[in-house]
Amino acid sequence: MIEPVELANFFTVFFSAASVILFGAGYALLFAWSRVSARPRLMPLAYAAYLGLAASVITLGLAANLFNSGFWTFIVLLMLVGYLLAPHAVWHLCVGTHTDAPAAESVKLTQPR
Amino acid sequence: MAALGILDSANLNGGQKLAVKYFTVAIALFAAQVLFGLLAGLQYLYPDFLYGVLDFSVNRMLHINAMVVWLLFGFIGAVYWLLEDESGVPVVGLALGNLIFWVFTLAVVAVVLVYLLVQVGPGELKSIWLINEGREYIEAPRWADIGIVVCVLVFFYNVAATFMKGRFTGIGGVLVLDLVALAGLYTAGMWYTPNISMDQHWWWWVIHLWVEATWEVLVGCLLAYGLIKTMGVRRKIVETWLYIEVALLFGSGILGLGHHYFWIGTPEYWLAIGGFFSALEPIPLVAMVVHAVFDAGHHKLKSTNNPALAWMIAQAFGNFFGAGVWGFMHTLPQINLYTHGTQWTASHGHLAFFGAYATIVIAFVYLAVQKWRGNVWMSGELVGGWKWKWALFLLHVGMLGMTMALLVAGYEQSQIERAIEGSGWMGYFAGQAHPWFQQGMVWRMISGWTFAAGFVLLAWDLMTIGKRESRPARSVEMREAPAMA
Amino acid sequence: MSQTQTLWWASESFWKKMAIWITAASAVVLIFLTFDTVAKITAGGKRVPAYSVINHRIDYVFDEKRNHQVPVIGPVEPLFGKVLSEAEAKDLVSKGKLTTQAKNCMNCHTLLGNGAYFAPDLTKSWLDPAWGSKEVREQLMVDFLMDPSDKLHNALGRRMPKLGITEEEARATVAFLKWMSAIDTNGFPANFKPIDQADAAPETAPPPVESAPVPAL
Repeated sequence: MIEPVELANFFTVFFSAASVILFGAGYALLFAWSRVSARPRLMPLAYAAYLGLAASVITLGLAANLFNSGFWTFIVLLMLVGYLLAPHAVWHLCVGTHTDAPAAESVKLTQPR
Repeated sequence: MAALGILDSANLNGGQKLAVKYFTVAIALFAAQVLFGLLAGLQYLYPDFLYGVLDFSVNRMLHINAMVVWLLFGFIGAVYWLLEDESGVPVVGLALGNLIFWVFTLAVVAVVLVYLLVQVGPGELKSIWLINEGREYIEAPRWADIGIVVCVLVFFYNVAATFMKGRFTGIGGVLVLDLVALAGLYTAGMWYTPNISMDQHWWWWVIHLWVEATWEVLVGCLLAYGLIKTMGVRRKIVETWLYIEVALLFGSGILGLGHHYFWIGTPEYWLAIGGFFSALEPIPLVAMVVHAVFDAGHHKLKSTNNPALAWMIAQAFGNFFGAGVWGFMHTLPQINLYTHGTQWTASHGHLAFFGAYATIVIAFVYLAVQKWRGNVWMSGELVGGWKWKWALFLLHVGMLGMTMALLVAGYEQSQIERAIEGSGWMGYFAGQAHPWFQQGMVWRMISGWTFAAGFVLLAWDLMTIGKRESRPARSVEMREAPAMA
Repeated sequence: MSQTQTLWWASESFWKKMAIWITAASAVVLIFLTFDTVAKITAGGKRVPAYSVINHRIDYVFDEKRNHQVPVIGPVEPLFGKVLSEAEAKDLVSKGKLTTQAKNCMNCHTLLGNGAYFAPDLTKSWLDPAWGSKEVREQLMVDFLMDPSDKLHNALGRRMPKLGITEEEARATVAFLKWMSAIDTNGFPANFKPIDQADAAPETAPPPVESAPVPAL
């Protein structure tokens, strides 16, 4: 069912798993920021973050021996596709749920922190 | 109405008067959590410290139980806080609610005294009924379990009946259903069985389905109310997003139970289920990030209560790092085999509980204090505003320090104790003696003292904030003109 | 973008229904799985053995097919020299389990990896090589539980306190620990090196003093 991680790959697993989430957040953040502030120049950066995410997922898959079984390979593919589409879907939801507001209007953005 | 800046219960509605009692006990128990955490942390460095008097097991039990109970008191207080406002009518069974508050508080005091003075009992059922159940997080003896369920049921009655009498908002509906689940799930952890696999199987129903499902949704309700109150976000949008959140959290969280069923004797299919739902876990976080940016694009982030808003933002970040990053690092069974039951778990637990739950309760206490003082100004340039900022800073530096120190210790432990030595007794102590572990415990302690300093400042601030203010609070409605969220 | 009519997939009512359906569906799946899991972890099954397994030798051996170690039930090797019926064994294990709860073991140790991290995991403590040899193990465990305070633990100075465990409770606890070591935990803990339980050569080498849990006799 599973093939436990090799000792030598521990760090890679922890690091790539953390990177998956951080790149995922970076992608979501840049994607949304680009759209909300109407700055299309940020979009390539968002997809660069996604590439980082994809690389992290694949690194995680290799280090955690996920490609040795069909099921876990499917999980890797699911992550690759799901994390790519999720920000798009959530963005559409944001726009959809705020329909009477001019969503794409350019508003000076305040850092959300 | 009393003068601005004076603590006066005339400023509060009935439910809120009860809420501030719950908040007071919650903060006192938070103090207990910090205190016993410090004692337990010291015992890693000085094993003879309080040996045979207050052993690690007692301190650790009080540390985690105080946490569960203070968060629970904070949640109950927060719900009473918003109840009349949200439903539009006075709390239906307020006298009963008050009675139950005292019963609950006295029961907690009794349990703590027994933990401290009796500590352990003979290996008989009566120990489990009277002293402690010896099951992590739900150690409370059986009599107290029954008491907790009764208290939560009365609380549930008050909430449901009040909403039914007044208006049943979307937040109210989600809250009531969530409380049914909360009370019901607790009973899953109340039964004795000699079978440890069965025991832990049901134990996780309480722990996981509370912490990673029903508590999350409860916090979602509180945040939804908080956003309406502090930022004037429109209700329809907030409630739609509350439903989206419920769908995402329960959709990924309920069967996410699987990631606790890897190694306790439960069947192998849980490895696959746990792995699958672990991969789904980040989706609610991604939704949160996108939505937060979307909202930030439409708000100027001017709030009526800066400390409360800051703690709500801290909640978003804490939840993201604690549950998201720290959770995902060791959730796949391929690596969890080596991190399960090490300081990894402690690292993740510290950051996730603080980030996801402590923060939101603190935010609500700030909301409460503001109104208690006659809706005093709590936006920018607050008199004595350095205190809340420094408290927030020190608590976060302390928490992050503890988390990082435990992470380093856990990383070393997973390699030396688990992977190389194979988790035997000697492997365990080889891992504990390693410099990374030993130094990790020192840094954890330093960070713990930092956290404690932050707590003292927080408590002081909660008692004094707004005292010397004479300006009334900024009005939310004033800014609602552009009607955006 | 600015239509006033809400899109169906972004409407409050749609997500209200989604929230209910997704929650209900997850709960139903969980309940089905729970029935199956509870049946499979009831004592007496393949994963969680009957309590009378304490009458047998229990080992932890690598299984090529499953790619991890699994508990193996060996020849009859009764605990404290007495073969127990299933009912007697259940009573004894239950007494031991109650003792672990009443003495709050889980707030220092981990059991099946769950608990606190101040003391070693007890999942395979019955098989721990630090007990020296299988012949002396039972009695050493009983002595240790009854008063660990004067026994050697490790070089760190961390000691288990004396918890007022009676001899009866200590024996029951050992029975519980032996039974727990026979639970199939999907290979947790990995790479564990069990005590030598072969019949021919009794292992007598004393463990290194600095990290042995073995009492100084």
